[in-house]
Amino acid sequence: MKRALSLTLALAATVAIALVAGRAEAAPTASTDTNLTGAGATFPFPLISKWIPELGKAYGINVTYSPIGSGGGISAITARTVDFGASDAPLSSSQLDACKGCLVIPWALSATSVPYNLPGIGGRLKLDGPTLANIYLGQITNWNDPAIRRMNTGLNLPDLRITPVYRSDGSGTTYNFTEYLSSVSPAFRSGVGFNTSVSWKTGVGARGSSGVTGVVRQTPGALTYVDVAYSIQNKLQFATIRNRAGKFATPGLRGIQQALSQLPAKVTSLSQLKTVDPPTKAGKLAYPITTFTYVIVPTSSSKAADLRKMVYWAVTQGQKFGPPLLFQPLPKTVQAFAFREIKKIGST
Amino acid sequence: MSTLAPDPAASSTTLERRGIPLGDLLFRGVAGTAAIGVTVLLGVIAWKVLDLAWPSITASGLDFLWTEVWNPVTDTYGALTFIYGTAVTSLIALLLATPLSIAIALFLTEIAPRRIAAPIATMVELLAAIPSVVLGLWGILVFGPWIARNLEPWLESTLGFIPIFSGEPSQAGILPAALILTIMIVPITSAICRELFVRTPTELTDGAMALGSTRWEAIRGVMFAYAAPGIAAAVLLGLGRAFGEAIAVTQVIGSSDFISTSIFAPGDTLGSKIASQYQGATTPLQQGSLLYLAAILMVISLTTNVLAQVIVRRFEKQRRAA
Amino acid sequence: MSETLPAASRHDVTVSSNRLGRRKAVEKAFAASGILSALAAVAVLGLVLGSVVFKGVSQLELDFLTLPRPLFGEKGGIADALVGSALIVGMCIVVAVPLAVLVAIYMSEYAGPRVSTFLRVVLDVLNGVPAIVVGIFVFGILVVGRGQSAIFGALALAILMLPLVARATQEVLEIVPRSQREASLALGVTKWRTTWSIILPSAIGGILTGVVIAVARVAGETAPLLFTSSIAANAVSFDVSEALPTLPVAIFVFADSPDPREQASAWAAALVLVAFVLVLNIVAKLIAGRQRRKLEGT
Repeated sequence: MKRALSLTLALAATVAIALVAGRAEAAPTASTDTNLTGAGATFPFPLISKWIPELGKAYGINVTYSPIGSGGGISAITARTVDFGASDAPLSSSQLDACKGCLVIPWALSATSVPYNLPGIGGRLKLDGPTLANIYLGQITNWNDPAIRRMNTGLNLPDLRITPVYRSDGSGTTYNFTEYLSSVSPAFRSGVGFNTSVSWKTGVGARGSSGVTGVVRQTPGALTYVDVAYSIQNKLQFATIRNRAGKFATPGLRGIQQALSQLPAKVTSLSQLKTVDPPTKAGKLAYPITTFTYVIVPTSSSKAADLRKMVYWAVTQGQKFGPPLLFQPLPKTVQAFAFREIKKIGST
Repeated sequence: MSTLAPDPAASSTTLERRGIPLGDLLFRGVAGTAAIGVTVLLGVIAWKVLDLAWPSITASGLDFLWTEVWNPVTDTYGALTFIYGTAVTSLIALLLATPLSIAIALFLTEIAPRRIAAPIATMVELLAAIPSVVLGLWGILVFGPWIARNLEPWLESTLGFIPIFSGEPSQAGILPAALILTIMIVPITSAICRELFVRTPTELTDGAMALGSTRWEAIRGVMFAYAAPGIAAAVLLGLGRAFGEAIAVTQVIGSSDFISTSIFAPGDTLGSKIASQYQGATTPLQQGSLLYLAAILMVISLTTNVLAQVIVRRFEKQRRAA
Repeated sequence: MSETLPAASRHDVTVSSNRLGRRKAVEKAFAASGILSALAAVAVLGLVLGSVVFKGVSQLELDFLTLPRPLFGEKGGIADALVGSALIVGMCIVVAVPLAVLVAIYMSEYAGPRVSTFLRVVLDVLNGVPAIVVGIFVFGILVVGRGQSAIFGALALAILMLPLVARATQEVLEIVPRSQREASLALGVTKWRTTWSIILPSAIGGILTGVVIAVARVAGETAPLLFTSSIAANAVSFDVSEALPTLPVAIFVFADSPDPREQASAWAAALVLVAFVLVLNIVAKLIAGRQRRKLEGT
């Protein structure tokens, strides 16, 4: 009886392993000897997911990516526990020092949307920077507040408490959103400031772009800030935000493109890539909360050749996978900047 | 020597007669090394966590313990919110779990007939076996929303005059976390209480009842008095478990950096903050402060645990003397 | 059950009828609270298991069990997490059990009463160290500078498993009658041989029970794995020098998702994990039952 039992278990285990291994073999990634592991921002995950099978087909590079948040990506590449990191927030000078020879290269461009959960209001919500700042400062607490009603005269705003949702993990999207709020609201700048992780005055925290989207989905009256691809994937309504030209802009491709229209002709450093609160001459459709997202690679690595191939492909052919997910292809000046940086990736 | 058939013990007996208990020495040495190793391991864990936290401890000092701030922008940190959160969630869990556990233990040992007691005891144990991440999943998707839609509004309508029960219902907050912790502690505490009640000499309660008291009075007067230290130890062990739980708590507590009066509001605990921010800590001081939190958590749990051990040992000594 | 009043007090029924009534009511309340509490515990168990089963079972198909973690918006499964968990728990058992048994043997066969008590306290305190602190410890001592790996995850889980198995083994060893040891030693068998060939086999059922229960507990631990094996490829891999995906971490990550499909995956993964843990607990009970019957028979 015992014998039969152990034999059955062994047989079952063999069958299980065979099934799983067989499936793994049949998977579409080419069997090759180059693996690149990356970790970081959840923001570009939708796009990177599309890139992974393509990189396998194009160069035979097996890329794996763990969306743990920009903060996690920066820590991981600093500790060299991964081959590349990803972050929507540029590195501060002390982070660059700690990273000991890291290149920060923009490889995608999209917008941070502000989705909300307000069923039956009869239209799309309009918001502006100062109002958003006041919501996240806890000064505006109800959806029928005059400040919100003023901008949304045609809508049926309920007497419902606002639940602002924020990222509890280290997030480049937080950096982008708080940078925007800090530039339009002095009170927010001095009260909260901007960083991948800030001390929020009010609201509820959740982990990852998925987490915040999940809370909004489940909580009437909630709103949050998240990459526009997540809002669309989860069928959440997002607000239009007033830009400097006075128009309410949508986080679509045109909105992103116009927001970036005022870049210098030659980009020599990341500090020139200001994406939030673009000036009036940017355009009527310019969306105020756009962000680049960056790949962080070491200047010297044993996998330098593969890293160069991956980043090069991402900033050229990879860009065409962007538009369906509302990632605007990189402007030519930024692409040129990226090419110059890629050349600096050397071998150990 | 011997004319008997070869005896496997003979070779070692021969060795012993020669005075070299080699096998014994080796075995004892290996087992002893393992024992030393385990003790050293405990010491190394305590030392290493403190060592990792030390730069932050020296930089922030003891003020860290009562500062309510966590601001990566200004790079200033303090542990008060999280110490408060840990204390409040665990306290609520304890207040709810202790009477429940005692009641369940009494039910299983005194009230229920054997045939019912066994399966129910198994089911309570199975509750302990559910991994905390699964309880957290259930908390996020089922329990939390139910609390926000039903329990919190009801509490507010009946007890809303007390500040801790007022406020906006939220599916992520101190209360959901405390309730999940209760679910986790009850099986542990009730199992220990059950052991205690089973081992209480029946002569004590029988004697009380022979003198005219009801079952409950006998239990309350005699058994509890007898088992009190054990119950205290059980409570402390449950408390230690509550302090240390990071995963299920971080899933349902809402991650706020500030202390709120209402238990409906989001908050955070030591373990939960570490779990949610450790990977993404970008400045050395932020990372160090999270390690400082870990050191505080370790000290709190070890103290509670050691206290429970001391009570148990003293209790056992008392019982053996009696 | 409530007929505990001796004959004498019935004479005083008229005088103390109020007190008697109240005492009887209190008695009934006590019984009721016990029953209600037990029912509440069983109800919660039912609710949790019910949710896991109902929401998870729909997702349990062959694809789910054989595909790795999905990319954004695609279909996937937990195959990589199953393999990773199996490898990590397997390595953990290999490291923790021999060590734990050795410590228990030392405590019960060689150490004096004071050393034995000391070691018991050490093990109990080790048991009380929160899993997240163990995670940070292993992270600080092994992962920093080297990167994550499944082996480090296994070591962290081994630290959690060790006290459970050691205490269980030690308790079983103490139950083995002194007479067995004395008889063996009297026959001239060395101490180590006695322990190895006679005492241990006698206790094997209890040790196995302890191991099975410890595995059930450790298989569901998430916190240490977050620090040692969380950044992993989403493909089935047997390379233990790298971080591997695991079931608890997969549940933790899926649980936050707004995507109903990912939520369903979380439930299904939880179902697999809970089923595994429950089966182990039942197996432990069966072994313990057989062990008890065997010892009672001797």
